[in-house]
Amino acid sequence: MEKQHHIDLLPGDVGEIVFLPGDINRAAVIAGHFDEASLVAHKRQYITYTGTYQGIKVSVTSTGIGGPAVAIAVEELIKVGARKFIRIGTGGALQKWLPIPSLIVGTAAVRGDGTSREYFPLEYPAVADFFTMEAMLHAAQKRKVDVYPGIIRGHDAFYAESIFADVDYLKLDRPWIDAGVLITSNESSTLFPLAMARGCRAGTILCAVDCHQRPGLEASAQAIDESISNAIDIALDAAVELYQMEHQNTKVKVV
Amino acid sequence: MTSQDVHSEIQHHVDMKKGDIAPTVLIPGEPQRVEVFAALMEEATKVAEKREYVTYTGKKDGVAVSCTSTGLGCPPTAIGVEELIRIGAKNIIRIGTCGVIQPFIKPGEFIIATGAVRGEHTSEEFINMEYPAMADYRIVRALIDACEKLDMPYHLGIVRTHDAYYLESPEAQGNFMERLQPWIDMSVLALDNESSSIFVISSMQGIRAGAILTCGNPIYMPDADNCDWETNIVKMVTAGIEAAKLLAERGLAE
Repeated sequence: MEKQHHIDLLPGDVGEIVFLPGDINRAAVIAGHFDEASLVAHKRQYITYTGTYQGIKVSVTSTGIGGPAVAIAVEELIKVGARKFIRIGTGGALQKWLPIPSLIVGTAAVRGDGTSREYFPLEYPAVADFFTMEAMLHAAQKRKVDVYPGIIRGHDAFYAESIFADVDYLKLDRPWIDAGVLITSNESSTLFPLAMARGCRAGTILCAVDCHQRPGLEASAQAIDESISNAIDIALDAAVELYQMEHQNTKVKVV
Repeated sequence: MTSQDVHSEIQHHVDMKKGDIAPTVLIPGEPQRVEVFAALMEEATKVAEKREYVTYTGKKDGVAVSCTSTGLGCPPTAIGVEELIRIGAKNIIRIGTCGVIQPFIKPGEFIIATGAVRGEHTSEEFINMEYPAMADYRIVRALIDACEKLDMPYHLGIVRTHDAYYLESPEAQGNFMERLQPWIDMSVLALDNESSSIFVISSMQGIRAGAILTCGNPIYMPDADNCDWETNIVKMVTAGIEAAKLLAERGLAE
């Protein structure tokens, strides 16, 4: 097999589990949490490190921003052997009771992105893999880190639905705020249905770095970095739990 | 009328008021399945019966559980769910049957839904189609633990909820496999007529919902109906009651 067009990887270059930050610089931060890691490929916004964590082969690939770029990464990563994905990213809180920063573990996503529509009719649900999501809740509990499980609003246009928008973004947010959606982000609503349809697992943990209903509220860079560091540790612990679960005899038959 | 009044009065269709149901309500489509529930409880009293809505409330091992039939399809199910929430339901668990569409699923196995394809129109009247029809993870976990305890084989995944039974069933007009193939390819496990509207309405209101479904053979197999439905439905209702007990133990019944 030739190297994949965009991620520039061959089978064997990644572990079964790949962490997916959007930000290329965050990939190195995540790799820094592995027990050991080396740079495998770097092309466009896609940089990949592979290493080990508690004896398990793990990888991180940056995807760049948005559904189109995430879908390319996920499709190509599946071709080179990835089967589980945990997105580690940031987003804007929709609910005003959420502390800033805080960590959100995605249970499902609103499909406001265009990429997943090209793949699947809109009625198909963007749901996180149950065990991946639950493993992150377990990890957070063990580490005594507060996380908020809930729905992510996936969408495409950052400058239509963020505190930096010129338009009345709260008007666009209103149905999602009323329905209890926790956070906006650009990738999970593409990632969840794509992984599910391909028989893979996907989950997301996001750091809420600002709040749509409290645009003046600013968190320090240090507080955000600490929160993202917690998110990375939670994702790594979840990877270990998933690995252990899949290598035990359980009655559950996962498709 | 204030919204407080709306919630305290006798509801139009389920014919009940606050206090008539337990925090956890099992909802089959079929009214007769409520009798199966009643027979499995230590004590159960019929609380109401109107149209397709039959309700029993009772106790199992000291935990109060209710069961309300909501009829076939999303329109009556949405009414039932909405009214049950108004009178105090906190956990809503669908106990139903389904049309299996994946070849690896066998009769006597069960599906615990994690989400549903919104192939119906009822939920769209509440919120646009981008919103996910997702089961609550705490209900999913309670149903998994109940199945493990009762030694019931289960599959976890998404189901396709839709409206027109006679377009996606073995007796369907024309080539129903052509209509089903895309969903089979998207890893959908089975078809039903209710789950997605239950999930959407509940999660929008912060109420926990989930579904456990009894499986037969895949609907495109010649022996699709060759399944001991009666025995398996009793097992499913037992698992629903067990899940209600686990939710109460976990402080999730309020």
